[in-house]
Amino acid sequence: MDLDEPARPSRRRVLRAAGGAAAWLPLASALSSCLTLGVEGSPDGPLEVLYLGDATQQESFNQLFDAFQQAHPDIGINARGIAAGDWGTFANTVSTQIAGGKVPDVIQVATEGQRLFAAKGLMEPLDAYMERDRDLVDAYFADVDPRLREWTVTYGSPDGHTYYIPGGYNTTVLYCNTEVFDAAGVELPEREWTWQEFRAAGERIKERTGAFLIPLGFSFPFVDIMPWLLTNGASTLDEDWARGTFASDAAVEAATFVKGLIDDGLAPKPGGTFDAMGQLRNGNLATLGGGRWPTLDVRRLDLLDRVRIVSWPANARPGSPVGWDGWPILKASRKKEKAWTFLTWLMSREASVFYAENGGSTIPARNSVATAEPFLDQAPPGTELLPEAVTYGTPIPSPERGSEVQDVVTQGWQAAITGTKPVRDALEEANDRLGGLL
Amino acid sequence: MTTPTTPTTPNTPSTSSTSSTPPAPGAVPARAARRGRPGGRPRDQRVGYLFVAPAVLLFLVFVAGPFVAAVVLSFYSWDLLTEAEFNGLGNFTEMLRDPLLYRALGNTFLFAFASVVTHVVGGLLLAMAVNRTMSRVLSYFVRTALFFPFVISWAAVALLWKYVLDPTFGVVTHYAGEVGITTPDWFTDPDWALPAIIGIDWWHTIGFTFVIMLAGLQTVPKQLVEAARCDGANARQILWHVTLPAMSPTIFFAVVITFIGAFQVFDPVQIITPQGGPDNATLTIVMYLYQKGFQTFQAGYASAVSLLVFAVMLVVTLVQFWGARKWVHHQ
Repeated sequence: MDLDEPARPSRRRVLRAAGGAAAWLPLASALSSCLTLGVEGSPDGPLEVLYLGDATQQESFNQLFDAFQQAHPDIGINARGIAAGDWGTFANTVSTQIAGGKVPDVIQVATEGQRLFAAKGLMEPLDAYMERDRDLVDAYFADVDPRLREWTVTYGSPDGHTYYIPGGYNTTVLYCNTEVFDAAGVELPEREWTWQEFRAAGERIKERTGAFLIPLGFSFPFVDIMPWLLTNGASTLDEDWARGTFASDAAVEAATFVKGLIDDGLAPKPGGTFDAMGQLRNGNLATLGGGRWPTLDVRRLDLLDRVRIVSWPANARPGSPVGWDGWPILKASRKKEKAWTFLTWLMSREASVFYAENGGSTIPARNSVATAEPFLDQAPPGTELLPEAVTYGTPIPSPERGSEVQDVVTQGWQAAITGTKPVRDALEEANDRLGGLL
Repeated sequence: MTTPTTPTTPNTPSTSSTSSTPPAPGAVPARAARRGRPGGRPRDQRVGYLFVAPAVLLFLVFVAGPFVAAVVLSFYSWDLLTEAEFNGLGNFTEMLRDPLLYRALGNTFLFAFASVVTHVVGGLLLAMAVNRTMSRVLSYFVRTALFFPFVISWAAVALLWKYVLDPTFGVVTHYAGEVGITTPDWFTDPDWALPAIIGIDWWHTIGFTFVIMLAGLQTVPKQLVEAARCDGANARQILWHVTLPAMSPTIFFAVVITFIGAFQVFDPVQIITPQGGPDNATLTIVMYLYQKGFQTFQAGYASAVSLLVFAVMLVVTLVQFWGARKWVHHQ
């Protein structure tokens, strides 16, 4: 030590230590939060609501929330839309935000995340609230397809409690450009049609107009994979989501059919940048699959008089995946009463009509709204097939490790339809991997 | 301005420091050193600390802090949603029997190796071409053109190349078809997905390596080249025996920097081939870390993987420094 050292080292050291400690405080706090998850919402301030929606959908949601505030001016609402590409990504984003201490009061949870969130014990049981407002709740469920309520309980309530109020839902249908079909001299089906009829229509359309029949892919199982499996009596998992069924003969047949459409040039090669809605508008594409959400683009592109909705072609039986929103209250919320008021308002016919009129991207859970004017107006002919599909639909398989399951399914389907592996080998390999995730 | 204290004439051999060596730049006066104030007066010291404080604070919060957090978390099981549980060495033993981790490591090493080779060779060749006698205007234009892709965001580059290589409508697909060449399905074929991304990465970042190489090339003493030429050396001999040895510190820097950057590749693979691409052909280690941490909610395991990434980069870099003693010539 230097003897000429100034005689004030202790103060300097104290300051240095204090500075160092201050710098480490955020880290210590963050780490402590990570390891104990001691996060709670605030008792004051507006209700924090998280939902999935891109810029267009956020506009509709914001109008919906504004309507809630007009009905309940004493309850402020701070809604945040997450523009995730799919529900898996949305669930991941929400989970990360919760882990970071940003706990909302209410979240829109799709089928893909319901089991995961419920199993983690993050949600408040709603049974007591439902019992208290029994009349209101009964009136709502009397107007909802009973399957939706049953599925919400079966797949979203691991311990017998009710954690979610089902909101809107989606099924899959085909949006068809009628001008392309007319130009090719192909009649659109009035009701069901078969895979073979669909393929024959595609061959004729390609021959006479050069347009593709349908875009086919692998990254969005709700549209790219499940409709083909379900319309052939197959699925990725069994009814209890406990065992993989991805390599069944029916699944192999479905993947082989899809691969045939690609190999014969009736669909653009997957993995590219094909703009399906733009090509549908330009007459270079005959059909595209989807739920309610393409209707927003059909309106935006002024295609209502050139597009018609038809059911998905079937081979073994009619089929469609069904995915639905669940609205829970988080256990950590300190505004549970306000949150329940919000949920009861979402259950009201007024909210359902308002959302249907303002361009919501789901089918209203209330049948009286989904089959009437507010929903069918400003929508392509055949829109009534969307709510009808729930009657023969199957819940999109969403086990607790849904994200990993989805990766395996998409990779298996990709290998099968792009021909990088024989179809059966690709699906069997994927099915083996599924076994380790259930 | 300080007066240079070391000889600047290239022909003068460098000498090791001796007692007669003049003080190095920045050396403190003897009196100040005796008083234990290397930076000068106390007021100057405080100003100095204030200047570095923001950088130190940012380093602590965003680099050192997360690093310590990752070390701690690697001993826990934590799904982001419920309380973390101590897991001892469980995450590390699980890594040993995780085939997907080995696949991701293999892909990453392949990507990093290809990236280092193509960037260093390509950057050097481009630098030599631009460094040849050409008009200043043309030289600046070529430099700007080569560096330009580097300033474009990865998201834009990835989408651009997805359009260019689209298997149905892509420019490359179209013109290759015109001349009778069938292109592969770049992003869905397991054999082609990684090479395609290596190529895109090269296009995007070669400008950076090129600029480094050009700077290194311009530091090669002209006297040495002239001397070699006077001694009868031809162009190839000058390149191998004068230019490359003189540039070896620059090449070494480029190798280290390129490897570290390549080993952390994430953006292009995630945007172009999400979820690891066909048959996990483009699954890189950082992508795998992201999947484990934020898609399957295994934050503890992801932290352990992140430490593995750190360790690999540290070891490879140390090996590079050790090897550099044999081939890097410091003037």
